[in-house]
Amino acid sequence: MRTEEAKFILSAYRPSGGDAGNTAFAEALQMAGDDPMMGAWFTLSRAHDAAVAAKLSQVQPPAGLRDAIIAGVRVSGATRSPGLGWGWIGGLAAAAAVAIGILSMRAPAHPETGTTELAGFAINDMLNERHGGHGDPAAALITQLQAPGTRMPGADQIDFEKLRETGCRTLNFAGHDLLEVCFARDGAMYHLYITRRDGPLGDSVAGGPSFISETGGAAAVWSDARFDYAVATTAGVSALRRLL
Amino acid sequence: MNNEAFAQLVEAHYAPLYRFALSLSRNGSDAGDLVQQTFFIWATKGHGLRELSKAKSWLFTTLYREFLRGRRRDSRSSFLEDLPVGDKDPVAEDVDRVAKIDAASVMVALQTVDEAFRAPLTLFYLEDMSYQEIAETLDVPIGTVMSRLSRGKAQLRAALERADAGGSKVVPFPNAKGKAL
Repeated sequence: MRTEEAKFILSAYRPSGGDAGNTAFAEALQMAGDDPMMGAWFTLSRAHDAAVAAKLSQVQPPAGLRDAIIAGVRVSGATRSPGLGWGWIGGLAAAAAVAIGILSMRAPAHPETGTTELAGFAINDMLNERHGGHGDPAAALITQLQAPGTRMPGADQIDFEKLRETGCRTLNFAGHDLLEVCFARDGAMYHLYITRRDGPLGDSVAGGPSFISETGGAAAVWSDARFDYAVATTAGVSALRRLL
Repeated sequence: MNNEAFAQLVEAHYAPLYRFALSLSRNGSDAGDLVQQTFFIWATKGHGLRELSKAKSWLFTTLYREFLRGRRRDSRSSFLEDLPVGDKDPVAEDVDRVAKIDAASVMVALQTVDEAFRAPLTLFYLEDMSYQEIAETLDVPIGTVMSRLSRGKAQLRAALERADAGGSKVVPFPNAKGKAL
């Protein structure tokens, strides 16, 4: 066996030593034991592998993902209460319920045009534009938004004109003003967009929230008596659900 | 499967599945969606798999298939085996470099590795899977797995070197407590 061939094989040798008993590595391991240069390479290679594995294991999933998975499947009816035993609960009704659950989490089957339009605008702006310049009144709103457990603001808490006139970042959305404020909560960044209901979307965003997930980001869209809202994040739909 | 058993299954596997999904999709939002989708599929089909000992392999395979299904196929994929083999052997500086940079930077570096190499590399590092298990999970021949591990490691070392030199944009991932790693 040539040195390069042995190195190729040993590249698949797990840093944990879990392959010690695998005879496929025996000859290459023997070479590493006999050849000092090869031995030094193998020692460094394993040390590097162990260091990378240790670092990667520190990456944690977002808070709430576990609960979102369990809650989502329970709501869909695909699991049973304790005591009913194991096995597939089967049947078209359950499958359909799960399918509906998936669709409602990822994207509505037939989302209203206004909802998807506003969500797409928000996600695109979040991912591609520079943010900032919110003004003092917006600072108070941001403080409120960043407080753990705080619900998204309603019409009675938003002075649209004051925010716009005092420097809150204002975008042109189909010829109408759209305010944006950024805030952080639980380690994730969110971008809240607000436009008047007499704006370009009219009544097409009704109630909500609706959740839209696209490549790179997700948004929730809803409305109240005076405004249409979107909040966008890269932290996923589950994070948006917690926010709302 | 009852609620309690399902919760235990999620508890056991959602974190490593998320790391795998994050390395594939390269963003937290898509990774979270991939993991949720995988468990939904388990709820509808997977528990037909009576041997729970095979659940882990099933979940990883399903997540990978969902990822492949969801993304547009890159024309480069056909030619990945033709990419040059990384000829740079690891040196002591490589080990020191990994020790001193944070976990998020290592993940970002991993995400720059070509996709075909990234999937086996992630299972190798994060799941301590043998090359046979990786071959089974990704449904590729054993020789291909070995080749991709070798090439992927060389790419990862180069990416880590670039990251350490400041040549790569590093975006910290929040940990479970919302703090950058």
